[in-house]
Amino acid sequence: MAQKKFKMIRYFWIPLLTLSLFKIFTNVSFAQSNYVLPYPPPMPGSFLYKIRLLSEQIQQYWYFGNFGQFSYNLKQSDKYLVQAKTLFEYEQYLLGEEALKKSDMYFKNSPKYLGKAKEENKNIDRLQKILKEAASKHIEVLNEIKTHVPEEITWSPEKSQPVKIFLRNKLTEAIYIRQSCL
Amino acid sequence: MMKKLFFILYPFALLSLTIFSYFFIDSNLTYLKDFYSGFAYKHRYSATFFYLLILLIFFTLYILLLKLISKKKIDFKDLRYLIFITIALLLFSYPAMLSFDIFNYISTSKVLFFYYENPYIIMPIEFAGDPLLSFTHASNKIALYGPSWILISAIPYFTGFGNFIVTLFSFKLFVSMFYLGTVFLIWKISKNLVYVSFFAFNPLVIIETLLSGHNDIVMMFFSLFSFYLLMKKKIIIPAFIFFIFSIFIKYSVIFLFPIFIYIILKTIRKQPIDWKNIFYFSFLLMAGAFILSPIREEIYPWYAIWFLPFISIVFQKRTLVYISVALSFGLLLRYVPFMLFGTHFGVTPFLKISVTLTPVFFVLIYVFLRDKLWLKIFSR
Repeated sequence: MAQKKFKMIRYFWIPLLTLSLFKIFTNVSFAQSNYVLPYPPPMPGSFLYKIRLLSEQIQQYWYFGNFGQFSYNLKQSDKYLVQAKTLFEYEQYLLGEEALKKSDMYFKNSPKYLGKAKEENKNIDRLQKILKEAASKHIEVLNEIKTHVPEEITWSPEKSQPVKIFLRNKLTEAIYIRQSCL
Repeated sequence: MMKKLFFILYPFALLSLTIFSYFFIDSNLTYLKDFYSGFAYKHRYSATFFYLLILLIFFTLYILLLKLISKKKIDFKDLRYLIFITIALLLFSYPAMLSFDIFNYISTSKVLFFYYENPYIIMPIEFAGDPLLSFTHASNKIALYGPSWILISAIPYFTGFGNFIVTLFSFKLFVSMFYLGTVFLIWKISKNLVYVSFFAFNPLVIIETLLSGHNDIVMMFFSLFSFYLLMKKKIIIPAFIFFIFSIFIKYSVIFLFPIFIYIILKTIRKQPIDWKNIFYFSFLLMAGAFILSPIREEIYPWYAIWFLPFISIVFQKRTLVYISVALSFGLLLRYVPFMLFGTHFGVTPFLKISVTLTPVFFVLIYVFLRDKLWLKIFSR
């Protein structure tokens, strides 16, 4: 009777304990920021990429106003950062570096529009908070990329001299840009 | 005698509704704090009772008016006067008695014309500290209306000169002008005072348009105007522009697109058009849009304005006319459960459906019995 009872308890407790341990150990998160980055957008070389570029051009006008421009630039910066990350992961360093450059450019624009909105007496507290969260998420991603890209690469174009690209320096620069917003 | 009684009671009913609407002022609406009593929120039973009483008075007067006009006891001049006092007295009513949409109109136009931001991207709530946020209910949503509406809302917005109260009433006046325009078009199309009155004095049309200031009438004006241009003037391009403009006010008139294309084709081919059928099918399609509206959200009483102008023109379809009146009454009863219980949950959704359908159900029974009795008498 006692053995039967033990069997019953075992059937109940063992799965429960396993589940609890699984929950505890898989719950460990390394993310530092709650800011959510988008999915990777269509990449260079695909037909959709051309459509994406066209839609970005149109959206630039659709997102008028300083709040609108802030959102547009930050959204673009997010997208190009994810693009850069994906391309670096696939060792497409040149394209990745280009995407990173675009992400930096858009990121630099975002606080400018917040400043303009402030001049118009708009309350920018919430958006400033979003910018900070975005900056810290970007830094998190950039640091992660830094760990698996080479220090430098040499790019040899067909009809000109080879060029050295200091990838880690570029990533450090990108981190500096984001840090200025923290 | 009845005419005299009507002319005494009708302005009195309008005035009562205008005064009653101020019992619903939101406590957060600081601009009207001197008029705030909290009556509708503190005395829910009394407020509901008065609302029901006002509805009954309005529907009784409405039926009486239609009878007086059909007996030719009220002429064109009288009707003009009645329309004028309806607009004039309800213009000063508090518009957010039953719906807060007018505040959404104002806050959306403020996003564009004051903050110079795109209302389809930036929500009013983004402008922390804006006084409109304390009483605008959909401030956490991007623009809900089409670009045509947002563009023309510049007129009432700028005529408000930055003063909230003036802006509020200029939006009401703006919508009232489209009510007047729609009534005028129904007259131009039908040349029948009963048909005009059926629309113009329908309590639902009056309450949702002249009291609450819903923009559905603006959409219907432009679509009806495009039909009118094709009907009387045979001009296709302006008619097409106005029709597209009306679609981009609130999108639901897109249901009329097949009919509109049919009229254009017939006009190009110079073939005769059966306009009665056109308006009848327009009614059916817009009634369809109305019935399908719960897919998007829920049936709101002011959606009836989508089909009421068309049924006014095909007034001969008596059963549909009776159903439309019953539905107008039922739709206005939808406000009662919330007014009474102060919640949108619990028994409220069920009651809303029940009160909407009950008058229609009774009308259907009446029509069924009438037809059966008529057949019995006829077969004898």
